Amino acid sequence: MPDQPRTAPDAYAPYAPRTATDAPRTAPTRIAPPVHVPGPQGPWDEVHRGLDRFGSAVVYATWGEWLPAALAEPGLRPLLGHDWQRYRGTADAAIRYRFLTSRMIIKYTAAAALRTGPAEFDLAYKLGGRPFIRGLDQIDISLSHTDDLIAVGVCRTGRIGVDVEPADRRMSFELLRGHMCTPAEHAELARMSGERQTAELLRLWTLKEAYTKALGQGLQLGFTEFGFGLRSGGLIAPDGTPAGGGEWAFATHPVLADRYLLSTACHDTGLDPARDTAVHTMLDPAFMAAVEDALTTG
Amino acid sequence: MGVATLVVRTDQLRTGYGTARPRGSVRPEPPSPVTKELIHAAMATTTETTAGTAAAVPGPVGTAHGRAVPAGPPAVAPEEAAALARAARLDALLGDPLDPANPHGLAELLAADTRGEPPVATEQLLTDARLGAEFVPAEFGGRLTRADLLAKVLRPVFRRDVALGFGYGITSLFGTAAVWAAGTERQRADTAGLLLRGGRASIVHHEVAHANAILRDEFTATPGRSGFTLSGRKDVIMNASRSAAWVVWARTAPERGPRSHSVLLLDPADLPAGTVTRLPRVPTPGMRGGLFSGLEFTGAPVPSSALVGRPGEGVALALRTFQVNRCLIPALAVAAADTVLHSAVRAVTPGRGGRTVRRWYKPLTGVFADLLACDSMATTALRALSLLPERSHVLAAAVKYVVPDLLREDLEALASVLGSHGYEHRSPQYGSLDKLVRDLPVAGLGHTGTAACQAVIVPQLRSLAERSWFSAEEPPPALFRAGAPLPVLDYRLLGIASGDDFLSATLAGAAERLAPHRADGGPVTDLAVLAELAETFVNELRGLRARCLRIPETREALTDPAVVTLSDRYALVLAAASVLGVWESRSQDGRDPFLADPAWAVLALTRLGRRMGIPVPELPDGVLDRMLAELSARYRDGRSCDLDGLPLAR
Repeated sequence: MPDQPRTAPDAYAPYAPRTATDAPRTAPTRIAPPVHVPGPQGPWDEVHRGLDRFGSAVVYATWGEWLPAALAEPGLRPLLGHDWQRYRGTADAAIRYRFLTSRMIIKYTAAAALRTGPAEFDLAYKLGGRPFIRGLDQIDISLSHTDDLIAVGVCRTGRIGVDVEPADRRMSFELLRGHMCTPAEHAELARMSGERQTAELLRLWTLKEAYTKALGQGLQLGFTEFGFGLRSGGLIAPDGTPAGGGEWAFATHPVLADRYLLSTACHDTGLDPARDTAVHTMLDPAFMAAVEDALTTG
Repeated sequence: MGVATLVVRTDQLRTGYGTARPRGSVRPEPPSPVTKELIHAAMATTTETTAGTAAAVPGPVGTAHGRAVPAGPPAVAPEEAAALARAARLDALLGDPLDPANPHGLAELLAADTRGEPPVATEQLLTDARLGAEFVPAEFGGRLTRADLLAKVLRPVFRRDVALGFGYGITSLFGTAAVWAAGTERQRADTAGLLLRGGRASIVHHEVAHANAILRDEFTATPGRSGFTLSGRKDVIMNASRSAAWVVWARTAPERGPRSHSVLLLDPADLPAGTVTRLPRVPTPGMRGGLFSGLEFTGAPVPSSALVGRPGEGVALALRTFQVNRCLIPALAVAAADTVLHSAVRAVTPGRGGRTVRRWYKPLTGVFADLLACDSMATTALRALSLLPERSHVLAAAVKYVVPDLLREDLEALASVLGSHGYEHRSPQYGSLDKLVRDLPVAGLGHTGTAACQAVIVPQLRSLAERSWFSAEEPPPALFRAGAPLPVLDYRLLGIASGDDFLSATLAGAAERLAPHRADGGPVTDLAVLAELAETFVNELRGLRARCLRIPETREALTDPAVVTLSDRYALVLAAASVLGVWESRSQDGRDPFLADPAWAVLALTRLGRRMGIPVPELPDGVLDRMLAELSARYRDGRSCDLDGLPLAR
């Protein structure tokens, strides 16, 4: 629906960016606008800036943009690690290449955050399927893809979930309302005109996907078990009461010439973690030296 | 990775919208995953699912372990019986957590949390119960004899409110541990007197790598002729405003090294006016009722008698004493997560005697198995602090590395089971999830906490591979044996980095003893699967050994991401070893048929293996059913979902 307004101020606008320095300690996480990263060369400084200032960054690209670099990558096997077998075992070329490029984008994005090379660490999966970087919990990651688009979120303050959908995807309110709307959401959507309703329904879907992915629950957590205030953009319980104390932040952005809608859910545990997410600085030198001393003398 | 354009079958999609359920009602069966998949299909979405499914395969039900022998009433060491009696008394004093009229129930504790206040009445109850004496070693007049028993005594508090446990609290022990380990007689006597009178001590950390708010900033103590001059500012210190002792890890040397810090025991009343400023309280999203605030010293004179241990011993004292905290926090977090598991079972089970909604069997039994695995690891480590105090350092770090992360995952799984109930933040029945999700990161200290543990594990990997793995001797059986007497915990004996790993020997030994049960083409019994799982983890350790032997002997090599990653795999192997050690012991004493049965160990190890991405055998038929039967029984009878299965106040 390219002719539809996608940035109604009360509906789509993400939280206004603020500098980290003027944010109070308990302020909810703000979400930076997603960054288009069309290949391994970057721009990664935008990711660094997002992590530093907002605590998170979201990268998107089409798999076609990354495919040439992926196919030319000399160290593909170490880069894919445990995913190598799955890549090699996927018969359908389109699926195989999209899998490959999605892993490339995750690993390069995580590498940017960790200030290391993309083949230097392991991408692994939790029991619910959530991707994570083994042994390096300074960042949390999330992946979503649809059609041509791949999006990867990275966060240092807590969990992150991202979801992308084609902006022209038509969702039937009549068909889906019972499966994805709380009574409050239903009432709000029912009052809207057709086009607005369709657009809001899609935004709601991506927000719910992003939130359940941030929780690592995928298909487990039913969409009618929690809701969003369509105006506030905040999490609410099915009975309409606020469901979060500001730890969660949500944003929806149109990306790639408005062809896709990208929603992000970001959690802040409130620990005010270090801005430094580099892997080479994470082990305390004094603790390590004391252990080495003990090993030498013991 | 499936990418598929699914055919839409609109006849399978229900219409109508979701209706709010009355609070306290049981969650119904739908929406099922299938329904949501259909919604995805209706949107022609291409969905990526990376989770494997552990579908059960048909096969004979496992047999009981051949070595299981029924035994008489459990023989429990007198100090353990006394600790359990104190725990039961405390649980009874705190009363029914679900009773809305109980001033110490969850309704009031959650309300205090919402107000951002400590629960005053409950803190007074703990003072009246002389809980502070639990943090003082018996030789100095308190009740602390063993760390594992301290965990048992504190669990009734943590089961209700982690922030209360910390704030009341256990942070007094974290601070005074340095005094028990290295203080003078006078310091010990003074500190013991303070805690026995119901006073508090604050631990004032030094700054560590990748510090968060709690571990950021530090004080500098400049040595002079008659002591030190203390300066600096730190904003987030638990109980700084109400503690009568501050145990400060202060920088006493400019370089970043193993002798850069010293520990100072300060009495706020002794500091001259104008040299210390108490900074305002800092609100925190987690442990909202915790009284965190800051301190600023401006040239405060500190006498040399305030020094705890030797000058420059701070980092070593941190490493030695933190290992107790690193075992205690996970053991207590298990109790807190147990409350959430009970609330999740409540959400999907009509009445005490009802049948749990089938859809939730898998997440509920999975979390139950994880709690038993976490408790196995934490309990083994806590007991090791008494039994093998010089050799427990790496295990303690591994426990703290593994357990908070596992529990965080488990809380997320339980959030799905609880569904909309999880947003009833003030409800005693269901409010614990939201609170623990916020409190647990503060208890575990997030990435800073895990990185501090990895800083202990990583430098030991190479020497463990060279000296210990596949050559260490197994620990004494008392390490795992329920009720067995143990030596008193002595902070002075705790060692750093012995280069020994007795649990790796337990893993190898258990795998060897289980080997005769391996199926090898025969019937796939539970024991056969357990044997295969044990062998899988032994192979993992073998692979780890090969990789760790190749770690170059340079400092730079230790910060290589690939080397840091090995600490994750190793910590999970130790978790598996703990499960096997505890299961073997329980199967031998045969007192508890459920713990003697391999089902829980099979499920726990299967989940650990899948987290490591290593191939694991299919779950045998009946494992989930037996786990669910036990979980249902414990819920129905009001018993804890840990290794002890203790009756809970209700």
